[in-house]
This record gives sequence, C-alpha cells and structure tokens, in this order.
Amino acid sequence: MKKLKIGVHGLTSCYGCQLKMASLKLAENIEIVYWNMLSSKGEIGKVDVAFVEGSVSTGEDEEELKKIRENADILVAMGTCATHGGVQGVIFGEDYKKCFKEIYGDNNIEFDGRIGEPIKKYVKVDYNLPGCPPEEDEILYYLATFALGSYPEEKDYPVCAECRRNGYPCILIEKNKPCLGPLTVAGCKARCLKYGIECTGCRGPLPHNIAWFDSLARTFKERGMSKEFIKSKMEIFGKQYENMEELINKVFE
Amino acid sequence: MKIYREIKIDHLARIEGKAGIVVEIGEEVKARVNVTEGPRFFELITRGKNYNDAASICSRICSFCSIPHKLTPIEAIEKALDIEVTEQTKILRKILYFANIIESHSLHLFLFAMPDYLGYPDAFSMAKKYPKLMKTGLELKNFGAEVQKIIGSREIHPENAIVGGFGKLPSQKDMEKIRKMAKENLERAIATVDFFAEYEYPSYTKMERKHLSIDGYEAYGNKIKATDGNEFSIEAYKENIEEEVVSYSFAKRGKYKGEPFMTGAISRIVNNMEFLEGEAKELVKKYEDFIDSKNCFANNFAQAIELVYFTQKIGELSNIKIKEERNVDIEKKNGRGIAVTEAPRGLLIYEVEVENEKIKYMNVITPTAMLLPMMEIDAINMAKGLWEDGYKDIDLIGKKIEMVVRAYDPCISCSVHVINKK
Repeated sequence: MKKLKIGVHGLTSCYGCQLKMASLKLAENIEIVYWNMLSSKGEIGKVDVAFVEGSVSTGEDEEELKKIRENADILVAMGTCATHGGVQGVIFGEDYKKCFKEIYGDNNIEFDGRIGEPIKKYVKVDYNLPGCPPEEDEILYYLATFALGSYPEEKDYPVCAECRRNGYPCILIEKNKPCLGPLTVAGCKARCLKYGIECTGCRGPLPHNIAWFDSLARTFKERGMSKEFIKSKMEIFGKQYENMEELINKVFE
Repeated sequence: MKIYREIKIDHLARIEGKAGIVVEIGEEVKARVNVTEGPRFFELITRGKNYNDAASICSRICSFCSIPHKLTPIEAIEKALDIEVTEQTKILRKILYFANIIESHSLHLFLFAMPDYLGYPDAFSMAKKYPKLMKTGLELKNFGAEVQKIIGSREIHPENAIVGGFGKLPSQKDMEKIRKMAKENLERAIATVDFFAEYEYPSYTKMERKHLSIDGYEAYGNKIKATDGNEFSIEAYKENIEEEVVSYSFAKRGKYKGEPFMTGAISRIVNNMEFLEGEAKELVKKYEDFIDSKNCFANNFAQAIELVYFTQKIGELSNIKIKEERNVDIEKKNGRGIAVTEAPRGLLIYEVEVENEKIKYMNVITPTAMLLPMMEIDAINMAKGLWEDGYKDIDLIGKKIEMVVRAYDPCISCSVHVINKK
C-alpha cells in the first residue's frame, strides 16, 4: 500500500489536538512529513493530508496556513479552534486594538495579532474533525479512511443521540441544567453527561445549519434562564456560527 | 555593536506552542525568545461568564497542563465564595494534579528532551534504536493520562472537576486500579532518573539563580518561598512578582524583585528537599550532585525525580475509601480570591473577582511567563561560552541553545495567555 504522507500543524491554540494525536499509535504506512511539535526534522512540504489545529490569531498564522494549504491535497481542520475559532473566538466582532490595549496597555508588540478566527475564513477546508480535543477513535477513523483512499463522513447529529443511546438521564429535562447537547455535534459518546455535567458545547455547533439555537434558547427561557445567561453560555464555542445571535434574539423579541 | 554571527530559529521544535529564538554573537551576546503564538485574551473571554464556564474556558489555556488551568481558577473561585471543599475532594484533586505532572513530565522528557541527549531529531527515529526506553516513557505518560481520565473525565480539558467538588465520584474499584498502576510505574520512573544521571550538565549555564516555589511539596499552598530566604503570602504576589511587556513577545514576562528567576521541578526540589520520601529521597541522596540549583539543566533531572515522587504519592493517596457525598453548597455570589498552585512547570497564580456568580475580573500568571527572562540569560551564556571556547559552528551552537530552551520545558500556549491588566 502506498504510504499516506501527512503534516501536522499548530496555529494559535492549546496544542491539545496534537497532544491527543501524539498519544496514538499510528500505522506503519503513515509517514509524517512535518510535525514541528514532535520533530526538529522536516519542513512544510507536499503532503496527502495536512491536519491543522488552532485558530488564525496572527498574520504569521495566516501566512503559515496558506503555505500548508498550497502543499496539501487534503486539508483537515482539527479541533474547535480550527473549525469554529475556539474559546478565543468568543470576542469575535470586537475591535482588536481595543482588546490589545486592555491586556498589554500602551506597549507595542511587533507581531500582527488578531482576534482568533476559524481557518475556513482564510483557506478552503476539505474536512472538519471536531472536538476539544477530538476523540481518539475519530482521529484514527479520519486517518484510516484517507490511508485507504476513501474519505471520512462527518457527523451531523447531536450529542443527545449518543446520550440517549447510552441511557443517561436527560439533565436538561430532569435537572434543569443548561445542557448544550442538542446543539453540539456528536462524537464524544456524551462523555460529560456520563459524569452528570451538562454539555458545554466544546465540539462546536452542528453543521449544515441545523444547530437550532433558537429552539434550545426557547427551552432555556421557559425554564427561567435569562437572555444574557443563555447567550454567554452558547457563545463560548458557538460565537462564530453564522447566525447564532440572531437566532437567540428571535426568541426574546 | 558589531555582530559576528546571528543564530535564528524561527519555530522551535519539540516544545509546546510557537516560539523562536534569536541569539546575536558580537562584542556582547544578546538573546531574545520571540513568542509568536497569537494572543487569546483570556481576561476578556472569561469576563461575564458563569464561574464554572470560566474555569472550563481557562483549562483551554493549555492542554499539557489543563488540570492546573482548571483547578487553580476553581480554587480561586472557591476562596472568593468562602467554600471549603471536603477532604475527599481535596485528595482527589491532588491526585489529578500529580497525575498531570507525571503525564506532562514524561511527555517532555521522552518525546521532547531525550532525542537531544541521544542525538535524534525526534522520538520516532529514537524509538527504532531504543524501543524499550520509548516504551517506558509512553507507559508513564499513559499512567498519568489514565488517572486524569478516571477522576477528571478526560486527560485534556477534564470537565468532571467543578466548583464545590465533582460531577461524579470515582468508584472504589477505580481507586484500586489507580493504586495498581502507581505500583507498576514506580520502576519505570526510577529508570528515567537513572537515564538522566548518565549525562553531565554543560558548565556554561552554571550561575547563581533564585528559585521560587510553594512552601511544602504540594499542589496547593498559601505561601511562596524563595531561595533568598524570603517567604511571602500568596495574597502579596503582585508586590513580589512583577511583569513586563517586551516588543517581541505576546507573553508577558515575570521578575522577582526586579530579577529573573526560576520555578518548576528543580525549584520545588531545591526549596522542599526535606519533604521528599521513599525512593525519591534515596535517589536524591544517591545523585546529590545532580540537584544543582545553579544549572538550568538540573531541571530535566528534577523532573525525572518528580516522576518517582508523584508516582509514590498517587500510590499513597489512592488508598482513600471513597464515600458517596454531595458537593458543597454554594451560598455566596460575590467575592475575591487568589490561588497559587504548582503546575508541571512551576508556580501558577490565579486571581478572580466573582460578582453575581459571574467573573468580573481575572488575572493569571503562568510559570512559563515567569521563566522566559532566565531562559534568555542561559541561552546567552551557552552561546557565549561555546563561542569563546572556539566553537564557531552555528548549527552546533543552535542545537545547544535549543537544549537550553528544552531544559526549561516552556509551555508557550500558557505563556501567551497571561491576562493581567496593567
């Protein structure tokens, strides 16, 4: 079998997706061309698949991302920073200079910083590998399909599907907890629900415009939660979803 | 100033996060660690968030130390709200801490640092020649990860730890599994110490330096201790550790009384040697020359000692009899709290102000931000020493400078998330 050449890259992030990937035993027919976190060898060059973790938060990030795209047949956005901007994307829409001043004062830093954005804003993304971080079986599934010349199928159903299948009690209905499971793309096997913790939405909203922020916001509202609270909860991992704010606002009109 | 040579490494490999280093060799030698990892503004993104959500956001500061970045804000929030968690919660959190240090240290020692010692570009190629050694490292890493998964729900961004306690408690069987794993991994940890005891430290990086750590070999503490004999309460952190902004770094940098200092594994051992027990104590006695407070390379050795010490500690603490109990009730809605813990790389400070169950103010100082100025001094001394001794090969000097950086095990993702408002 032909070897699958991969590159693994980190933009601005916590490096958790790469750490998760580094914990896996990769098959012999996967050749790592570039993985700066693990190797001082290699340069960004031609690969079959590039996995990119992190959001674009500097001009340098953008430059590097474009170079990665040019050299990769397939580009995978790995993890919520890459797919949705990640937690740092929650201030999306704010003025960068204003944010900078609040943190660094009147000092000057010579790099071109920005508010974090998902990588699809800058380059074409072929596949999304969601998660904060992605689960082991998902990373292996993506790698295996590429290695076999096939392609992975992205999940389009919510965490609730996995939660119910596992037989966990619904903490939204039974305990009134603000669970974001109904909006969030599945794949984690409802890990947090197993521990009685409501879903924080860390895997990002469902794709294909089927993340019904409005309907969940209405459910929360009926349970006495304020608009401010609902928004502050949903925006942590969903701020850069196309019409999140609009959908929530609609419920409170 | 006349510059004879410039060494520039844009994107340092085998570290956590994105940073480069520039060393100029001239009449004077200068070094700067460029932190190019972008800003993430944690102070802004946690503002107005419910405190549990804010703690979840903070864990995203760094994957290698997501336990400290979850538990330290939780501790600060609990102090703000006058919550005293149960003894059982305290013990389980300690186990989480120590397991995280084991995972982080073994990742760093085996995957990042060891290839330098054995002359390989990475652990993949090293593993072909040294499969047994690599296996030891991965087993240790998995041990740390598995314990975090059992108690914290996952090894990266553990959501099970919340303000007041846990979502779900581990079972007695889980604790037995942890104890068994600790027993199995002690030999592996000792083997790691023996490995690093084969290598002498470079003399160029030897100089007097100050070490800061918590008083007592613990995860949490109320007092910070320095090797100059000074001790201060964590409430007074701002008066003792100041920060500066430099133009070439999104990370702020820490100074203690205006001077660079060290924190982390070697500082913990230097300051708290008397607390070490069992095998860890024996090993420190056996290899006492390696506990060299003057040399940054002692940090790698100290990390190996900590693998032993914290594996022992997990073995002891996991003897706990788990009893079903409810989380502590939270009544207060407002307050201010400061917490300091020992993350894998050293002191981690969180200060929070909670207003109406939401975060109003947050300040974080990470160990890597504290370390950067000292790291630059050691990089300068390494380059200078080699150059003056007649080594003119830039690649070789570059490699040695990278080793200096890796001795510190910097965590760049952490460092750029310094969120203090001046």
